[in-house]
Amino acid sequence: MYLYGISQEAGETPDVAGVDGQAQVQAIASAGLVSWVSPVSKSEFADNLVKNMENLDWLAAVSVRHQRVVSAISQKRALLPARFGTVFLGESSLKQHIAERKASLQSDLKRIEAADEWGVKIFGELPHKSVATQIPRSGREYLSAKAAGLQARSSNAADGEIAGFVEALKQLVEELSPGGAVSSGQRGLLWHGSILLHRTDRKKLERLLARFSRQWENQRRIECTGPWPPYSFVTREAET
Amino acid sequence: MSFLVNDGDSADEVSLLDILDHVLNSGIVIHGRLIISLAQVDLVYVGLNVLLTSVETALRQRTEPLPLPRKRK
Repeated sequence: MYLYGISQEAGETPDVAGVDGQAQVQAIASAGLVSWVSPVSKSEFADNLVKNMENLDWLAAVSVRHQRVVSAISQKRALLPARFGTVFLGESSLKQHIAERKASLQSDLKRIEAADEWGVKIFGELPHKSVATQIPRSGREYLSAKAAGLQARSSNAADGEIAGFVEALKQLVEELSPGGAVSSGQRGLLWHGSILLHRTDRKKLERLLARFSRQWENQRRIECTGPWPPYSFVTREAET
Repeated sequence: MSFLVNDGDSADEVSLLDILDHVLNSGIVIHGRLIISLAQVDLVYVGLNVLLTSVETALRQRTEPLPLPRKRK
């Protein structure tokens, strides 16, 4: 039984296929909470889970399906999304583990109520007179132009501007969390974070992003993805 | 506008990297330990920290695009 997340109530089950691309997602009530699961093959998702996760094709396809299910469930209710690969070998095992974690799950549900997660990334743009477009007359000119381009991205002033943005962002959001490891290697990425934002503050976020985008025109680019279910803002450690 | 907002639902629009970051790296953890033997236990949970590093490396080295499942509706 593959777990997608925990909510307070059930309501209508979304019509979405599980991580195997076939089985229907179902809701199981226990301990005053609702667990969202779908049946999966023991061989593929338990016995061979680690081996399959090392296969990027498999991991990519299953991760996308996982997120689609989580997203579909989250449309209608607050959901604590589960991390990839949480598999119970039976319903009674699921219920037992939920009962053990009940207090922490309840407090998480309270924290994320009426809030969404957003991903914010800042990328550095090449300056207009970039090394690529301007033909240097000498080797020294080439190197100093390149150094100037690099310096524009890593100067103290630049770091200060980004710090200013992060401070302004912190004032606005409920919580801020560092960005994930997988996308942190993206080229040109200067800063990356996840925020938990109350739904009523969405317009304020848009205004803040617009303000800094204008200020940083041709210099830096801001990308914002969301709304995400609040993956980054749930309690990660087990009680025991 | 110089920023764009993407719905985290469609794999076509949102970077796969973002999906992997959310799904692999975060979310509630029901059991924290790596389960090695399945015989006595009733829950499988994989400790992902070690795995994540190799996934990041493999993604950076990959040259063809990853095949992604089609949306049903």
